[in-house]
Amino acid sequence: MRAAALSEASLGPAARTTDDQPSSVLRIKAVRKLYRDLEAIRNVSFDVADGEFLSLLGPSGCGKSTLLMMVAGLIDSTEGEIAVNGKAVAGPRREVGVVFQQPVLLPWRKVLDNVLFPIELLKLPRSQYEKRAMDLLAMAKIEDFAHHLPRQLSGGMRQRVSICRALIHDPRILLMDEPFSALDALTRDEMGVELLRIWQANRKTVIFVTHSIREAVLLSDRVLVMGRRPSTIVEELAIDLPRPRHIGMTEDESFNRFVRTLRKAIEASHAS
Amino acid sequence: MPARLREYATELAWPVGISLAMLGMWELAVRELGIRSIILPPPSEIAEAIIARHDLLLTHLWPSLYLTVLGFALSVVGGVLVAVLITYSTIVRKGFYPVIIVSQVIPKISIAPLFIVWFGTGTMSGLLLAFLVAFFPMTINAAMGFQAVDEDIHRMARTFMGTRWQIFWKIRMPNALPYIFAGMKISITLAIIGVIVSEFVASQEGIGYLIKLAGGLLDTPLMMAAITVLSISGLALYGMIAALEGRAVYWQSPNDIGGAAGG
Repeated sequence: MRAAALSEASLGPAARTTDDQPSSVLRIKAVRKLYRDLEAIRNVSFDVADGEFLSLLGPSGCGKSTLLMMVAGLIDSTEGEIAVNGKAVAGPRREVGVVFQQPVLLPWRKVLDNVLFPIELLKLPRSQYEKRAMDLLAMAKIEDFAHHLPRQLSGGMRQRVSICRALIHDPRILLMDEPFSALDALTRDEMGVELLRIWQANRKTVIFVTHSIREAVLLSDRVLVMGRRPSTIVEELAIDLPRPRHIGMTEDESFNRFVRTLRKAIEASHAS
Repeated sequence: MPARLREYATELAWPVGISLAMLGMWELAVRELGIRSIILPPPSEIAEAIIARHDLLLTHLWPSLYLTVLGFALSVVGGVLVAVLITYSTIVRKGFYPVIIVSQVIPKISIAPLFIVWFGTGTMSGLLLAFLVAFFPMTINAAMGFQAVDEDIHRMARTFMGTRWQIFWKIRMPNALPYIFAGMKISITLAIIGVIVSEFVASQEGIGYLIKLAGGLLDTPLMMAAITVLSISGLALYGMIAALEGRAVYWQSPNDIGGAAGG
């Protein structure tokens, strides 16, 4: 099942969108968002396949975060339909894990207790998830800090903890809202590669919001470019670079071709 | 640990040293200038008075401390409860909270004689005045703490389907703790003032009564002995709260404690 979904994911968007389920984990159809009279998002539709790494790329304030928060069930859409596993999103749900721009850790909880926080909120038995939490921390290479307080950690380490927290209850979809934008450039590249490693081990569906073209190309199977307000999808690009990916690829001509294509798409949307 | 102790010791050395130097100068000045002890007794004479009349001092200290601690405890419980109401009830927040903040301007001590009229000269007046003055900073600090939860933390908890109850106990409450302790440190000193003022106005016991009595008898050494004992007690109460804070608010480094809400 899983292998089938994967090989399909590598076929690119065209093959997927014609196919009707069950590989589509998330379906967004004709979504529109109004803030009073202001149209923030106009007619956005796309499907996301199981295990796919999808990036939403666009300038700041283009509504990509709003779209992500609608998928998370934190914001209602004005029109259109958002469905996870075929069920319409009416509020936050268990199948979704969210990583925010800031790590948003609770300062009074040790790292391990921060990771287990969703388990408490979801009233799941903590003892059954402690090992998983430690495994996740080990995968993020911060298991030595399990009993430290967040303030004893660097910014990059804190964001790793928040990724572990988003994965603890084994959600199918991981939503990431510019998770590395608060980090310095070097840490950022490193975190991107780390994220790919974690993703490859867990095979989650990831929707990754970013304004970095490089980051989108390096991480994604597919990139959707969103234009300025009222925001809609102006370009869709499948990134068929081989996996596993590494930082060295950013030097390759094939990588830069994708970067140029996306940049042109963004510039074109500005001009109009 | 020893390194930390040494750090504390060096930090204490300066204020303690300067205090001792000032006491020495006081002692010397009084003796050299021949100031009568009815005007200003030297520290040695105050110390003598404390030792010689410790029975009398303690007899009057206990009721004052008892009322202070009780009034303070009531203000903490009441303040936190009202803060919860402010946090969760729109009517209380929009209607009462501004009133509470504005009423801060009223010098509540001035109500003391009125309390005597209403509740008599017994312990009730002192207790209520202590509660009244300590209650407001407690409420305002706790309300700030409950509401100062980062919007991102709120959103994070909602994505994991946290209930209101969970959000209160697991997020708002710990978030408010530093603010509550900042409020407690203000409230305990105010509670002492409330009790003493009430005893000044009308009372047959308590350290405030003793200060007034000694003043009437022109027994300045006794008066200053009472003030000293009261100050030491206040310092001890404050110290106990600060020590408790260090344990309860373990996630803040010592440097930013109190930075949360000083007033």
